[in-house]
Amino acid sequence: MRGALRNLMTIRRLLIRHIDTNMAQTAIQIDALEFRWRPDGPICLCLPALTVDGGKSLFLHGPSGVGKSTLLNLIGGVLQPVQGRISVLGRLLGEMSGAERDSFRADHLGFIFQQFNLIPYLSVLDNVLLPCRFSRHRALRAGDVQAEARRLLAALDLDPALATVAATQLSVGQQQRVAAARALIGRPDILIADEPTSALDAPRQAAFIDLLLSEAGAAGSSVVFVSHDPRLAVHFDQSLALTAGSAA
Amino acid sequence: MKALLRLAVMSAWNRRLDGFALSVSGTDLIVGGRAHPLQLVLYAVFHLGDAPPMMRWESCERLAGDPAVAWHIPLALGDSHHGYPVVGTTADYFAHFQYGDRQALRLAEGRPFSGLFEAVVGAELAAHMGYRLGQSIELSHGEGEIHGMDHDDKPFTVVGILAPTGTAVDRSVQVPIQSIEALHLDWLGGVRAPGFSIPADQVSKFDLTPKAINACLLGLHQRGAVFGVQRRINAWADELLTAVMPGVALDQLWQTVGGAERALQALSWLVLAVGLGGLMAVMLAGLNERRREMAILRSLGAGPRHLLGLLMLESLGVSALGALLGLLLVTLLTFFGGELLAAYGLAALPLTVNDSEMQLLGLVLVSGLLVSLLPAWRAYRLSLADGLIPRL
Repeated sequence: MRGALRNLMTIRRLLIRHIDTNMAQTAIQIDALEFRWRPDGPICLCLPALTVDGGKSLFLHGPSGVGKSTLLNLIGGVLQPVQGRISVLGRLLGEMSGAERDSFRADHLGFIFQQFNLIPYLSVLDNVLLPCRFSRHRALRAGDVQAEARRLLAALDLDPALATVAATQLSVGQQQRVAAARALIGRPDILIADEPTSALDAPRQAAFIDLLLSEAGAAGSSVVFVSHDPRLAVHFDQSLALTAGSAA
Repeated sequence: MKALLRLAVMSAWNRRLDGFALSVSGTDLIVGGRAHPLQLVLYAVFHLGDAPPMMRWESCERLAGDPAVAWHIPLALGDSHHGYPVVGTTADYFAHFQYGDRQALRLAEGRPFSGLFEAVVGAELAAHMGYRLGQSIELSHGEGEIHGMDHDDKPFTVVGILAPTGTAVDRSVQVPIQSIEALHLDWLGGVRAPGFSIPADQVSKFDLTPKAINACLLGLHQRGAVFGVQRRINAWADELLTAVMPGVALDQLWQTVGGAERALQALSWLVLAVGLGGLMAVMLAGLNERRREMAILRSLGAGPRHLLGLLMLESLGVSALGALLGLLLVTLLTFFGGELLAAYGLAALPLTVNDSEMQLLGLVLVSGLLVSLLPAWRAYRLSLADGLIPRL
């Protein structure tokens, strides 16, 4: 009986993976994007075209204030463009309702921020498990969520003894790796990292990026990596420089 | 949260004041010499204030013979033991005296008195003086403030210790009313008769029926008859007597101190308002530090509505915690602080929380929720403006 159930679960997981790989031919497609904060205000971000293929990694760089964060908000479906279209995994964000975008983000996107990524009052393990609470889809894909969370933490070089520790007790480097584990659990289709290494020193930056990219590769996730430091571009498949008011 | 706690304590105080009335229950009338009703009740029940005029024993006997009267408890007061009041009474005291929610007195140890020089002590007195069964105690004449006015020639034996009641009973020594008479056989006009004493083993040769008592508690067969009986007693031709319904007299007391009670209530409302304001201020101030946390939740798929709900839930939780802590504190206070409050003559507090306090707690929760609306709405706006990356 239990064996039959496990078979059924496996079939279901394979089905989900099959559908996902079909959908994820193009991870992100942006056309003629324009964004301004106020309808009569200046254009803050202008992006004629951007395509990220499924499983590929994109490096986004540019000085502060050129709209990198705005672009991430747009891809995350938290902001709406004034003009142009953004489609993520073949779905047009503009055609979804706010609640649909929220659950779409929960299901398919994983985020890592610059620092203070973790919810301070939760344990390390609970922080990693958070996406599975918001998204059934990701919980299903993770399978045994507890085991998967511990596997990811181990893969990201974290001591298993830290799993039950409060998030605030970790060092910045450890916190970033926990954040990476959280972003990767349940194999989201797209991993978005906003300056995740700027709080780390140079040798650990490269190590972190390598670890992140190899785990994202193992999960089959596309990666959008934002940094103001163009030297990091060598690690990625494609790279895009944003300049003030427009993108080159 | 502190404020909510304090509110609960305040409401406990109000309740405590109400509890005053519960020091005596089941007693329909208190009868004594002609005096102000309040004076009579305070003296007879709480042993507070000045003694009202005595009533003759024959009057008490006649009351007992009244067909409407079910039971009577004569009380002879005035002596003391280390400052604790001595109550001379009959065995009916243990059978009929009730306090709180019509609870009868219960003996924690021992038995009611049966012999002349036997005493039953209250729980607090026993605990404070460390008395056990068999302990020999001496009573003092009057309040015991004058040295040498002790009844040291006629000691009493403790035969029973009462369970705690949270009333004045806890602080009293109960002795047979005849022994009060026996104590004063060789006394004359409030002092020991010079050169004349009657040993304890000789007193039973005398008639120990008391000549006069301080008060008599009456229980009627039917409560409805209380007004008729009261009128009859007050109009008694043979002796000037006062019959009081204890509840009515205590209500009068409340009317006197009602202003203070209302002020206390107003203060508790003010405390609640300030507390809720503080909660709101803390939430608003904390919001900036939590923008990061909200952005993380947003990135994990939480909608702005989730954040609105989260903050309201938090506020509700804090209010509920405050209310629960308040309740807990009140209960603990009742449990462990009962003796302290009884020392001020305050009475038993029922441990059950009544409806109006439940409503009050409900009100606290609702207002906690309402107060969170502004911070929650601000969080909603902030999360819309911040998106995933707050500009701090």
